[in-house]
Amino acid sequence: MRDLARLARSAAVWQGLAGIAAFLALWQVAAALHLPMLRHVPTPLQVLTQLATEVHSRQYWLSWYVSGQRVLLGYVIGVGLGVPLALAMGMSRTFHGASFPLLEVLRPIPPLAWVPLSILFWPTMEQTIVSIIFLGAFFTVVLNVLGGVEAIDVNYRRAALSMGARPWHLFWKIVLPATSPSIFTGMAVGMGLTWEIVVAAEMIASIQAGLGFMMWQAYVGGNIALIIVSMVSIGLAGLVSSSLIWMLGRRLTPWLRRT
Amino acid sequence: MLGFATVLGAWHLTTAVLRLPLFDKITPPVTVFREWFNRTPAFGVSVFTPVYYEHIAYSVYRAYTAFLLAVLLGVPIGLVMGWRERVYRFTFPLLETLRPIPPLAWVPLAILMLPGIEPPVIYVTFIAAFFATVLNTLLGVLSIDRSYFRAAECLGFSPRNVLVHVVVPGALPFIFTGLQIAMGLSWFALVAGEMIAGRRGLGYMIFDAYNMAQIPTIIMGMLTLGLLGYASSALVRRLGRALMAWRGV
Repeated sequence: MRDLARLARSAAVWQGLAGIAAFLALWQVAAALHLPMLRHVPTPLQVLTQLATEVHSRQYWLSWYVSGQRVLLGYVIGVGLGVPLALAMGMSRTFHGASFPLLEVLRPIPPLAWVPLSILFWPTMEQTIVSIIFLGAFFTVVLNVLGGVEAIDVNYRRAALSMGARPWHLFWKIVLPATSPSIFTGMAVGMGLTWEIVVAAEMIASIQAGLGFMMWQAYVGGNIALIIVSMVSIGLAGLVSSSLIWMLGRRLTPWLRRT
Repeated sequence: MLGFATVLGAWHLTTAVLRLPLFDKITPPVTVFREWFNRTPAFGVSVFTPVYYEHIAYSVYRAYTAFLLAVLLGVPIGLVMGWRERVYRFTFPLLETLRPIPPLAWVPLAILMLPGIEPPVIYVTFIAAFFATVLNTLLGVLSIDRSYFRAAECLGFSPRNVLVHVVVPGALPFIFTGLQIAMGLSWFALVAGEMIAGRRGLGYMIFDAYNMAQIPTIIMGMLTLGLLGYASSALVRRLGRALMAWRGV
């Protein structure tokens, strides 16, 4: 409560809100005047009315649930495989040498370019979407963790080794603490990416249900206010889930000083 | 090289030799490469057909147009936002409100708002690259030690000189990190944009091949995209190194 009161008194908050309000006002006026590009675009007020009706519909929340489930599944598998793999690559030079080129060959292919092949590969559409989400999360996490491993000062390893550390000690005392910030960065960035992927995959793979599907339905049906509601919902979903990851990361790496 | 060999080996093994249950619909590498380098390809696309280069040209044109637009707009905006605190305070919350909306969620709205086929696809790609560029440029300016600004003021620098000698060089490493991310995101968004809305380009080629069940062409498109994406990132990295000679390699 006191935090809220402090927020309400700070000039920065009001200036930020003023910026957003100016944007909305501009949009309202531009859409109301039917400027050339915005001929089909509804005003913010119309979008708000649409949102007010959507929050009462079961379909809307079902879309959230279905997309969320897909994201969660693909993400958990991606992080669950990616983090140990990248850490193993950080621990063993041989393993790094054997698997890094493999990653480099596959990584530049954009996740969504995998969609058609995945549709053919996996028996169900659900598995297709989850596998694409997995790819997005996996590569992001692996690359971030590898970056973290590379940033470890080699002197730490040398010092530990000269004092007779076993590989096990190296892992627990040096590699894991040093890379945990990058693990969480990778996880948060990957989380943002998975929401992006799920939307596109749902639009491309023409699957029933999900926020991307809802948006595509709205597009086909010409309900532009609903398109914007979907866009905002997807943005919100991504924002909330990455914030959760950041919070988790902050809690688990308390030794890092945040500004 | 070893990585290449492993990928090809695993691919060949699963599709041609073992014929694992899930892999039965995927074509073995030999078939793909035979199609790719065939003078008379079975599905009409190979390195000897003009159609292939037309798709490539469209994708490259879109990706680079969007990327350049994002750089031309994003870098100055990011610099001003990081440099002028008042601008930062008024615009940063707005940026953070719009940024979480994924570029690909813009596709339907972009189709409705913008005329023709090219503008929506370029717009979506632009959005992807733009936010990454602005944010990284902004962070770059914020990362500059405040005493440089104070020193510049003591020495009587004009705002223009502060911009040229303090802000830009200080932010350059972050800008180039941002540009690399932006380039990757451009290709990422472009493919999806082309699949959903395009009439030409590699994303469309893949999707069209999928609709016609031409699996070698799908894989060909994916590999071409991988190569182009890789080459583009390498280009940005090299440019960054050339412009920041003081950092060494």
